[in-house]
Amino acid sequence: MSGTIQDTSVDAIRSWLAGRIAFYLQRSVEEIDHDLPLVEIGLDSVYAMTLSGDVEERYDIEVEPTMAWDHPTVNALAGYLHGVLGSRG
Amino acid sequence: MSVDTASVPGQVADAGAEPDLETYLGNPHDPANPVSFPAVLAADERGELLAEGERALDGYGLNAEFVPRALGGRFDRADRLAQVLRAVFRRDTTLGVGYGVTTFIAATPVWTDGTAQQRRWMADLLLRHGKASAGYNELAHGTDFSRAELRARPAGDHYRVTGRKEMVGNLARADAVTLFARTDDRPGSRSHSHLLLDMAALPAEHRRHLRRYRTAGVRGVLLGGLEFTDCPVPSDAVVGEPGGAMETVLRAFQVTRGVLPGMAVGIVDTQLRTVLRFALDRRLYGLPVAELPHARTTLVDGFLDLLIGDCLATVVARALHLLPDQTSVYSAAVKYLVPKLLQEAAHRLSVVLGARSYLRDGPYGIFQKNLRDLLAATLTHASAAVCQATIIPQLPRLAQQGWRSSPPPPPALFRLGDPLPPLDFGALGLSARGVDSLTATLRGYLAEPGAQPAVARLCGLFTAELDRLAEACAELPPRDRTVIAGRRSFDLTDRYATVLAAAACLGVWRHQRDDPFLGDVPWLAAALSRLAGRLGLHPGTAPDGLERHLYTELLARHRDNRGFDLVNRRLAG
Repeated sequence: MSGTIQDTSVDAIRSWLAGRIAFYLQRSVEEIDHDLPLVEIGLDSVYAMTLSGDVEERYDIEVEPTMAWDHPTVNALAGYLHGVLGSRG
Repeated sequence: MSVDTASVPGQVADAGAEPDLETYLGNPHDPANPVSFPAVLAADERGELLAEGERALDGYGLNAEFVPRALGGRFDRADRLAQVLRAVFRRDTTLGVGYGVTTFIAATPVWTDGTAQQRRWMADLLLRHGKASAGYNELAHGTDFSRAELRARPAGDHYRVTGRKEMVGNLARADAVTLFARTDDRPGSRSHSHLLLDMAALPAEHRRHLRRYRTAGVRGVLLGGLEFTDCPVPSDAVVGEPGGAMETVLRAFQVTRGVLPGMAVGIVDTQLRTVLRFALDRRLYGLPVAELPHARTTLVDGFLDLLIGDCLATVVARALHLLPDQTSVYSAAVKYLVPKLLQEAAHRLSVVLGARSYLRDGPYGIFQKNLRDLLAATLTHASAAVCQATIIPQLPRLAQQGWRSSPPPPPALFRLGDPLPPLDFGALGLSARGVDSLTATLRGYLAEPGAQPAVARLCGLFTAELDRLAEACAELPPRDRTVIAGRRSFDLTDRYATVLAAAACLGVWRHQRDDPFLGDVPWLAAALSRLAGRLGLHPGTAPDGLERHLYTELLARHRDNRGFDLVNRRLAG
C-alpha cells in the first residue's frame, strides 16, 4: 500500500480508521463509535501502537507510535491525521 | 595476581582508578573471604542478603555503575554494565538482584525523563550508596501497567497519594522510590505519572509498610509492600510530563530489560564451573565423569548455550547505543530468550551433578541455590510471557518488510572492543517500525562472495526460517496480533528470538577475526547447529572432532580460571 496516493479527506481517513479498528476488534464497522475513546471500545494501548503502524504503511508518513494515546477517538485521530497529511506538501 | 580477601569488605576503591569488581570480590572458595560461596549459602539459608556482600559492594561503589558518567558515575556502556554486574551474579544472584538490579530499574526512568535537578538528586543518592526502589507492581495488575490503581490526586502545590504497591524489592529500606501512579481517572495510556519520592521527607503517618514476601529463589531479597493513605507529595516530584509515565516506561525498560540478561549469564558461568569441577574430580566406572560421553556432551552444550546467550545479550546491549530505533523488539527478545536458554542449560547440567545438584551445602552447594535463583532472575522485571506479548504486535510489520529488506547493522554492533556512542534514552523508539537490521546480517552473509560454505549453509536454514515466519505472521488473525494472542503467536516469537540469536552469533564471529577462538569457525558452526536444532531444523551431522575442540577450550579456560563467556577474562581465586 505504501507509496500509493490515498484520499486524505477527513471522511476518507475516518472510514479507513474505523475499518481498521473494526478489523482488530472483529466487529462490524457500523459498531465503531467515532466519538468514544478507543480504549473504551476495546482498543488497548498496544493496539493503539499497531494502529500507528498501519497509518505509516498506508500514508507513507511517520507518526508517533503514541498517536492514538493523544488523539484517543476515531474523530480525533481523523482530524489529527488530516492536518498532518494536508501539510506534507 | 593474588587477592587479599581480608581487606575486601568496606574498603574504598582507589579514587579515579577503574576498580575491577571480580578481583575485588576475591576468591569464592576461600572460607576466610566474607563474600565466599559458603558465606553466600549461609545467608541464603537465613533468608538474608549477605551483609558483608552489601558492604563489599558499597566499598566497591557498585551504584556508580548505574549512574551516567555525565552525572559522576561509571555508566557509559550498556554491554559493559552487564559485564561488571556479571561478577556479582557469578557470586550471588541475591546480591545481584537485591543490591543491584532493583536500584538500576528505579533509576533508569529518572535518567530517561527526569529534570536536571531530579537526575542530580538520584545520582547523588546512588553515589553515596543509597537505595532506590522501583514502585510499579500491584498484585492485582502485574505488568498490565495501564490499569495500575495507586492514585496521586493534584491538591494545590502537591499530590495526595493513596493506594499500595506490592512485591517490590527493597521498599522497606529505600531512600528513594520511583512510583508509578495514576494521575488521571480516565482509562488509557496518558493517565499515569512517575513520582520520585524522597522517603525521608514523607510523613510517616501517611504510609504503612506491608509484610515481607518470602520467595523460593533469591531468598534474601527484601520484597515488601507499601500502603499510602492520603500521603502528601510535592508537585515537583513528577518525573517528565504528567501523564507521560507509560511512554517513559516503554523507553526506560528497553535499557533495563536489554541489560539484565547479560548479567544473568554470570549465574550459569558459575553453574558450568561447578559442574565441570565435579566432573573432573569424580570418577565413575574408572573414568572421571567428564570423560563419559553424555556428561562431556552436556558440558559442551552448556558452554555453547552460555556463548549463544552472551552473543545475543551483548549485541542487544550494544544495539541500545547503535540501533535505538529498533530495540523495542530486541530488548524484549533478549529478556525472553536468554534467561530461558540459561535455565535450560542449568537443568541439563544438574543431570551431570546428580544428587549433588540437590545438596544445600558442601563444595557444590552453590548449584542448587543458583538453580532456584535463576528462576527468580528470569521472572524479575518482566516474565517470558510479558516479553513475548511485547513482540507480538510488531510481528506483522516485521514480516511485511523488515525480514526481507532491512539495512545491515553497523559493524560496531559486533565489534566488541569498539567504542559506543552515548546511550540516548530519548532516541529509544517505541516501535521498530518493521525494521530489523540484526537478522539482515544473515542474508548479508549469504550474499557475500567469500562466504564459508559450511557457515552459509547454516545461515540458509535461518533465512528460510524467517521466510516461513513471515508467511505465518502475515496470516495471523487480528486477535493473534495483540497481547491477548493465542499460543500460536507466542510460538512465533520464540522462533523469531532464536533466529535473532543466530544472527548475533554470526555477527560476533565475523567481526572477531583476531580472536583465535571466537574468530574461528567451529564454535559458530556448533552454536548455529544448536539453535537450528532448537527450531526442529536439521543442521546435519557435526564434523568429527568438533566436540573435542570445544571441550579443549572449555578445559583450558577452566584450568586458567577464566570465564566461559565472550569476555573470557581471568577470575578471582
